[in-house]
Amino acid sequence: MTPRTRGHLALLLSPVTLFLSVFFLGPLIIIAVYSVLTPGLYGGVEWSFYHWNFGRIFGWADGLVEVFEPVYLQILLRSLGLAFLTVIICLILCYPVAFWIARLPQRARIVFLFLITLPFFASLIVRLYAWLLILKPSGLLGTVFNAVGLEAPEILYTQTAVILGMVYIFIPFMFLPLFSSVDTLDRSLIEASADLGAKPWQTFVKVIVPQTLPGIAGGSVIVFIPAVGNFIVPDVLGGAQGLMIGNMVEQQFLSSRNWPFGSALAMVIMAVVLAALMLFTARACKAGAAR
Amino acid sequence: MPDLLTIAAARRAFTTPEGKTFQALDGIDLTVGDGEFVTLLGPSGCGKTTLLRAIAGFEQIDSGSITLDGRDLTRLAPHQRPVNTVFQSYALFPHMTVARNVGYALEVRGMARSDRERWVADALDKVGLGDLGTRKPSQLSGGQRQRVALARAIVAEPRLLLLDEPLSALDRNLRQAMQIELKDLQHRLGIAFVFVTHDQEEALTMSDRIVVMRSGRIEQAGAPRDIFRRPATRFVAEFIGETNLFAGRVQNGTLVTDAGQRIDLPAGTPEGLATAVLRPTDFALGTSGIPGRVTRAVYLGADLHLHVAPDSGGPDIGVVARDAANAPRNGDRVTLAYDPASVHVMAGVA
Amino acid sequence: MKISLTAFAGLFFLFIYAPLIVIVVYSFNSNPVNMLVWDGFTLDWYKGLFGIGERTLDPNQRAVYLESTPQLIAALKNSLTVAAVTTLFSTLVGTATALAVTRYRFRGRTVYTGGMMLPMMMPDIVLGVGLLIFFSTIGMQLSLLTIIIGQCTFLTSYVFIVVQARLAGLDPALEEASADLGANEWTTFRKVTLPQLAFIISMDDLVITYFISGTGSQTLPTFIFSMVRRGVKPEINAIATLIILASIIIAALGLWLNARASRK
Ligand SMILES: Nc1ncnc2c1ncn2[C@@H]1O[C@H](COP(=O)(O)OP(=O)(O)OP(=O)(O)O)[C@@H](O)[C@H]1O
Ligand SMILES: [Mg+2]
Repeated sequence: MTPRTRGHLALLLSPVTLFLSVFFLGPLIIIAVYSVLTPGLYGGVEWSFYHWNFGRIFGWADGLVEVFEPVYLQILLRSLGLAFLTVIICLILCYPVAFWIARLPQRARIVFLFLITLPFFASLIVRLYAWLLILKPSGLLGTVFNAVGLEAPEILYTQTAVILGMVYIFIPFMFLPLFSSVDTLDRSLIEASADLGAKPWQTFVKVIVPQTLPGIAGGSVIVFIPAVGNFIVPDVLGGAQGLMIGNMVEQQFLSSRNWPFGSALAMVIMAVVLAALMLFTARACKAGAAR
Repeated sequence: MPDLLTIAAARRAFTTPEGKTFQALDGIDLTVGDGEFVTLLGPSGCGKTTLLRAIAGFEQIDSGSITLDGRDLTRLAPHQRPVNTVFQSYALFPHMTVARNVGYALEVRGMARSDRERWVADALDKVGLGDLGTRKPSQLSGGQRQRVALARAIVAEPRLLLLDEPLSALDRNLRQAMQIELKDLQHRLGIAFVFVTHDQEEALTMSDRIVVMRSGRIEQAGAPRDIFRRPATRFVAEFIGETNLFAGRVQNGTLVTDAGQRIDLPAGTPEGLATAVLRPTDFALGTSGIPGRVTRAVYLGADLHLHVAPDSGGPDIGVVARDAANAPRNGDRVTLAYDPASVHVMAGVA
Repeated sequence: MKISLTAFAGLFFLFIYAPLIVIVVYSFNSNPVNMLVWDGFTLDWYKGLFGIGERTLDPNQRAVYLESTPQLIAALKNSLTVAAVTTLFSTLVGTATALAVTRYRFRGRTVYTGGMMLPMMMPDIVLGVGLLIFFSTIGMQLSLLTIIIGQCTFLTSYVFIVVQARLAGLDPALEEASADLGANEWTTFRKVTLPQLAFIISMDDLVITYFISGTGSQTLPTFIFSMVRRGVKPEINAIATLIILASIIIAALGLWLNARASRK
């Protein structure tokens, strides 16, 4: 490497290195540190080691300094479940549509792909608000049910509403990776499978799914990560029943003002997400090696 | 040979992006005998692939019928048809091992694993790939992939195998080796083949019967020798091998072209409009026949390819002559001799 | 099979668009109490939004004055300022990084390619609270500047990922050969598509901004979020409709510019 290219490289890389090591690594480190610090009396923090933050969540609190509150574990599990269901439903909704669009003529394809990404451009909070309008007791759903003389189902402020909202805002995240996978699927493989006597469901399970696995896995991870730590959707649509771990974090930071405990909860979210990512990369590497 | 496959009056139209309809199959009637090697031959776009796909079930025909062994296949889905295909791109499943690819047809029928392994080993042996079962398709050469595709298609012992230009991706030497092997295998297994190719030489060497297609119709079907020696139409004559065609009027056993060229015909040729077919190898350099001048001599190794402008005028005549020290060169005068009895006449074709 | 797939796709698009249509329709409904019961067409909510028309705080009156019109305008201004600065910074820095890792082989290259994924992959709530603690620890007042810094962390990463994917599939000679068709597309991508994406993501960021915006530095999403939390009001429909309209225009414009570039 000549001194000149070295200079180029330094010029290209120093801004990002400086910026991200201060403003990305800094916050990460400090949140990790905070999660094992002692909460102060009035919302402050004392700089001494304190593992009870995690004890409160995972149950090794001794009942004196801190109390084990199973509610956090419950809510964590609920968040995982809701995020998982969101991923599954997004998958079920997007998969057939990806196939449908992949088989359209070129012009129509462009139009429909555009139509799918278009709502992504409209503000997230606006799109969530729309569901509030629909699900409110006096909202569209209620009005329609009442008009035909039926009792409207109570969806708002339930977990169903949370899933609905998350599915709605995360659909483009699932669709795009899935579509690129479906679109590059070699159709002669599907024909070969049928030709060899596989029934349509066999072709689906044995050929189509394995061949589109990169898209399925990619889309799932991209949806799962923001879903599991989400607090906006449960805040707007979830009510008390639909609270998620993200709401707990938000509470600790903005109303309870117990930052160390909030940091511990945030660390838990990060751990979950890292685990999901590692699972995904491990699978991707295995699939990559198999190719 | 009892009939295995019967296609009757099959038609299939496509709509072009401009909205016009285009008849890709325009009334195809074809039978394939049990164990017969039939080749579909024709220029690009004439409907060979479409016909093959219609037999396999990937295309539905608009009208007509397809029966196999007396069973009507016309409305059956591809997976319900007892017919297997070797795809041009091979279409091997990239995520499965070679063995699993080959055993796929057995797997989806629910055959037990142990039986399957035996059948797979057997099929791999037949194509000469005994020890590659654990590899992935990406770890194989082109020729090996070709064999895997073949093994996969024959493992369940179909009665009829469809092959769409299976050898076109191979280089020349491998291609010739595979031609022989494929023909051998077909013979041993007793499976009927419907084979698509662009390559007339391939068609001539491998087939029991050649079907020449043109714009969705069958132009002529027959044994390779008949197709080559006795083409029924100008199109067939020109499509298979190099040909000299002389169109004109037959009188007293002699054909006279518009340019005034005279060609002697076999005795008893009926009068009227006709076209005479003479292959370049039908001529010999002699003393009586068609006089002319060599305009180009191309050296081919053992042979010499001559373009001869006949004195009577009209297009150049292509001739293949043995190369020798005294062989004619550019500008030399020659006389092209031929045996009138071996001239093929297409009566009524002008 | 084919028909049922088409029907499914139809329902899918209905699911995607129906909520947006509901908002738009109700933003013109004159019923101020139960805005979901149609009571005739009105532009009052739009007028109220801009502080024109009659002003009253009585919820039963037709003309509703949005108490917080000045706040709304301020939030919009804040959003635009933040988005402009953030877009400029993240496209420059992110593109530079992507160029460095695609053009040069150097030690630590994989640290960059891997590490640049992290901010994008980090759940935004973790990044948000992390930044909050960080700023308060170093004693930095929450302001527009903190919002800009916060958004730049993940947008730089986003820009990097997108540009790197683009560059990986691009002939390195193309950038110089400006006559080439590919170069044309690349220019449009760099000058239109990329800034557009960054701008929209910045304008739409709620979670990170929510944690690190001070009292005086609300952005449009955090402002609407706080309004939505206080309940459904007709003027939110009007704001939401305007936002939907603006995003459609921006998206269509980008698409048109893109199509024009690739046709050339
Ligand atoms: N799905 C389709 N839609 C529209 N037209 C088609 C379709 N499939 C084939 N065709 C048209 O039908 C005609 C026959 O195509 P086919 O693939 O059967 O030709 P072919 O004889 O196999 O040619 P080649 O030797 O080039 O493979 C072509 O003109 C082709 O453009
Ligand atoms: Mg073909």
